[in-house]
Amino acid sequence: MDPVEVRGLAKTFYDEARGEVPAVQGIDFECHAGEIFGLLGANGAGKTTTLRMLSTILTPTGGSATILGHDIASEPTEVRKCLGFYSASTALYPRLTARETIEFFTRINQYSGDVKQRVDYLIERFGISKYASARIDKLSTGMKQKVSIARTVAHDPPLLIFDEPTVGLDVLNALDMQDVIREFRAHGKTILFSTHIMSEAEKLCDRIAIIHAGRILACNNLEGLRAVTGERYLEDIFVHYVRGQG
Amino acid sequence: MNWRIVGVIFRNEIRMLLRDRRTIAVGVLLPLLIYPLMIYANRVTTRQREKNLTETVYKYAVSGSQAEQVRGLIARGQAAPPGKNASKSEEEGNFQGFRIQEVTTQDPAALLASGDIHFYLKGLSGKEADALPVEAAKPKKEQETGSSKPKATPEAVPARVAGVPLIQIYFQGDRDASQVGSSKMRDLLARARSLDRDVLLQQKGLPVDPALVMPSDETDVARAAQVTGSYVGRFLTFLMLMFLMSSSSIVAIDSIAGEKERGSLETLLTTAAKRMEIVAAKQLSIVSVALVITFIQIANLLAYVDFKLVALPKDWVIELPPVTVVTLLLLFTPMAAFVASILLMLSAYAKTYKEAQLYFFPVNLLSWVPALAGVLPGIALRSAIVLVPVANVSVAVREIMVGKFDWPMLAAVFAVMTLAAAWAVRASAKLLSKESLITASEADAADFAGGPVLFPKHVLRWYGVMAAVLFAVALNVPHLATFRAQVLFNELVIFLGASALMVWKYRLNVREAWALRPVNPLAWLGVLLAVPSGLIVATGVFRLADLIFPVPQRVLEQFGNEIMPKDVPHWQLFLFIAVLPAICEEIAFRGTLLYGLRRKLRPVGLVLTVGIIFGLFHVALFRILPTAFLGVILTTMALLTGSIFPGMVAHAANNALSLWLADSGFSLGNLSWIWYLSATAVFALAFYILYRSRNPYPGLRR
Repeated sequence: MDPVEVRGLAKTFYDEARGEVPAVQGIDFECHAGEIFGLLGANGAGKTTTLRMLSTILTPTGGSATILGHDIASEPTEVRKCLGFYSASTALYPRLTARETIEFFTRINQYSGDVKQRVDYLIERFGISKYASARIDKLSTGMKQKVSIARTVAHDPPLLIFDEPTVGLDVLNALDMQDVIREFRAHGKTILFSTHIMSEAEKLCDRIAIIHAGRILACNNLEGLRAVTGERYLEDIFVHYVRGQG
Repeated sequence: MNWRIVGVIFRNEIRMLLRDRRTIAVGVLLPLLIYPLMIYANRVTTRQREKNLTETVYKYAVSGSQAEQVRGLIARGQAAPPGKNASKSEEEGNFQGFRIQEVTTQDPAALLASGDIHFYLKGLSGKEADALPVEAAKPKKEQETGSSKPKATPEAVPARVAGVPLIQIYFQGDRDASQVGSSKMRDLLARARSLDRDVLLQQKGLPVDPALVMPSDETDVARAAQVTGSYVGRFLTFLMLMFLMSSSSIVAIDSIAGEKERGSLETLLTTAAKRMEIVAAKQLSIVSVALVITFIQIANLLAYVDFKLVALPKDWVIELPPVTVVTLLLLFTPMAAFVASILLMLSAYAKTYKEAQLYFFPVNLLSWVPALAGVLPGIALRSAIVLVPVANVSVAVREIMVGKFDWPMLAAVFAVMTLAAAWAVRASAKLLSKESLITASEADAADFAGGPVLFPKHVLRWYGVMAAVLFAVALNVPHLATFRAQVLFNELVIFLGASALMVWKYRLNVREAWALRPVNPLAWLGVLLAVPSGLIVATGVFRLADLIFPVPQRVLEQFGNEIMPKDVPHWQLFLFIAVLPAICEEIAFRGTLLYGLRRKLRPVGLVLTVGIIFGLFHVALFRILPTAFLGVILTTMALLTGSIFPGMVAHAANNALSLWLADSGFSLGNLSWIWYLSATAVFALAFYILYRSRNPYPGLRR
C-alpha cells in the first residue's frame, strides 16, 4: 500500500455569487514511499485544495483518499498525526519564541518520545540555536522559514506535504528549502509537493502530476512525460497538456 | 476529547495573551486607571453642582394682575414652620438653602432670556385664566395652580376649576439653576397653598388641624438588606454581562479571527488536535480571562467603595451569605461560558480581526435585552423565562438577592445556561470546519465582478444601515414623530427608497429582484384562507409570547394609540396601515432582501432569517415575535409562489382586517384555544393549497 492513495477526490465550493464552483473534479494519484511527488499547476488549478483535503483541513465532496492507510474522511486525527503540513499561508505565533513554537507543535502533535530531547535536536538540526529564545515576530524571513520547517517535522511524521513552499522566498532561501526537501527524502520521508515553478518541479520531483482546472492531465516521471509529449523542457510539457486540454 | 491537548493549547493561549502588552493595557490597566478617574471626576462635579445650587440666590420676578397675591403666597410659604404640612421631600431639605430675591421689572421675559433672573411668575385672575386657550390654562409642569404637586403625571393632575386664579411659572429648561429654582418655587407655592387651605378649613369650623385628620403612616417590613438586594439584584446580571462582554471580547476576537488574519489558524488545524479540542481550549482561556478581569474590576470597584471614592446610598446593606455567593457563582459561571462561546462563534465567523470587531458592537447591544429582564416588572422565575438564556439568570439573580431561593427553578436555569453554552461551543467547532471561514486570504470573486454578483455580499449591510436610520430618525427627528410623517418616511424613504437604490446601485433586474411574476390562480385561494386563519394563529403566538415577555396593559394601550391614532380618518388609516406597508415592506423584505439572501441560505434558513429581520424592524420588543411570525408566513408564500404579489395582498388584507377588528372593538386575544387550533388547521390547508399550486422562487440554494 502506498503512503498516499487518492481515488476520485473532488471538492465543490459553494460561492454566494457564483453558485457551485468545482475546484477539484475527481482526481486519482498515489505517492510511493520515499519519493517526492509533485503537483504542478497554475494558480487556481486545484493544488492547494487537494493538499488541504489530504491534510483534512477541508472535507471532500466526492471520492476518497488514504494517508498511510488512514481514511481522510473517517480518521482525520490519525491522518494528521502522521503528516507534517507546510505552506506559505501557515504562519507561526508571533508572540512565542522559536523554542516554544517547536515545543508547542511537538506536544500538540502527540510526539511519542522525549519532547525536550526532540526540541533540542530540531533546534540544533536546523541551526536555530542562536535565536531559539527570540520571539518569532523579531525574526527575519529566513529564520522564520527554518522554524516553520522545524515545527512541520516536530513530531517526526513519515509524510510531509509542502504547498508552494518557496513562494515569497528569495533565491537563496528557496534553494535552502529545496535542499531541505531533498534531505528529507534521503531520510526516507514521503513528500507531496505542489508548485507552479517549473524548474523547481523539474529539479526536485521523482514524479509529477500536471493539474489543471481541477483535473490531473498527466502523471509520470519527467522522462515519461518527455517521451509522451516529445517535449524536452517541463514548461513545454506543461503547455502541451494545458493547451491540449483547452 | 484529549484534555492533555486542551491543556497544551490553553497554556499557549494564556502565554501569548500575557505577552500582548496592548491587551493587558486595554483590558486590565486602563479600566483600573479610568474608573477611579471617572468616579472621582463625577464626584467632584456633583459636589460642585450641589454647592453652586446651594449658594445660588435665585432671582425671580413677579408679574400679572395678581402679582401681590403671588408675593403674599411666597411670603407665607417661606414663613411656614418646617415639617408642618410638608411632604417627605420637603422634610429632606428641599427648601434648605433656598434663598430667593425678587427683581422688579416691566419685562420679566427679557430678563429671563438674558439670564438676569432664574424664573418669573405670572399671577392671573380667574377671568384671565379662563380666557386662556385650553392648553395654556391646563395645569402642567411649568404652571402652578396651587393645588397640584409638580411631580404628578399630567393625567393625574386634576382639571382647573373655572374662575379660580392661576399662577404661571416661566423658566429656562436648558439652565440648571433656572430649572432647579423654578421647581423649588413650585414646591414652596404648593406648601403655602396647603397651609392656606388648612387655615380656611379651621376658620370654617374644622375643630382640629386638618393635617392631623386621617394621617397615614407607612412601615416597610422588608429588611434593609432586602430592599438593597432588590435594587442590586435587578442590575447585577446586566453589570456582570457588561464586564464579561468587554473582558471576553479582548481575548475572543483575537482568538480565532486574529489567528485567521495571521495565518496561524491553518497551521493549528493541520496538527493532531481535534477541532473540538481547539475550541474547548480557546473557550477555556476566554472564560478564565473574562472571569479574572471581571473579578479584578469588581475588586477595583469595591476598593473605591472602601476608600469612600464611591458613596453608597444611605441605608444600603448588602448581605451576601455563603449560599447566595455560591448560587450566584453557579449561575454566573455558565453565563460566562455562554458569553465566551457566543464571542468565540463571532470570532470564528469573522474572517478578520476588524470584521469581528464590527460584529461585536451589535452583539453587545443585543445582549443587553435579555440581561435587563430582571428590571421588567411582573416577570417571575416560575414562567417560560426560565428557558431563555441570560434572561433567566437576570430574573433568578433578582429573586436570589431578596433571599428567595426557588431551587428547582434555579437548577433549571443552571441547566439551560449550561446547555446553551455547550451548544455554542459545538457551533463554534462546526464553524472551524466551514472552509469559507477558515482562511482569510481567499479573494472573493464577487468583489471584482461587482454589480448583481456583489449584491448578496452587501445585502445585510444595507438592512443594517436601514435599521440604524429608522431608529435614529424615530428618536431624534421630532418632525417625523407624528403618525403620518413616520409611516410615510419609513415606508417611502426607508423601505421603498432604499430598495430602489439597491436595484439602481447593483444594476439588478427589477422584475427578478422584486419577484414581479404572475401567480398560479389556485394560489389565490390559499392566500384567501391564509389571511384570517393566519391572523388568529399569530394572535395565539402573541399570547404565547406574552407568557415569556408579559407586556403591561398600559404599554399596549399606549402603543395601540400610537400606531392607530384616534384622530386620523378611516381611509387614511387604511392607506397608512394596510396599503403602504403591504407595497413598500413587501418590496423591501420579500423583494430585495429575499433576492439578496436566496443563495446565501437554504430555504428554511432563508424563511426564518427574512421573517426575523422583518420582525426586528418592528421596533417594540413584544411585537418582534408576532411580526416575525407574519414575516415567516409571507416569505414562505413568496418562495412557494415565486412572486411578491400574494404576499402583498396577504399583508394588506392582514393589516386591514386587524384595523377593522380594532375599530369594531373585537379582540382575537380573548378567543378560546379551540379557535386557535381550528385556525391552525385552516392555515395548514391554505399552505397545502399554496404548495400544490407552487411555482417555486427561482435560483434558491438547495
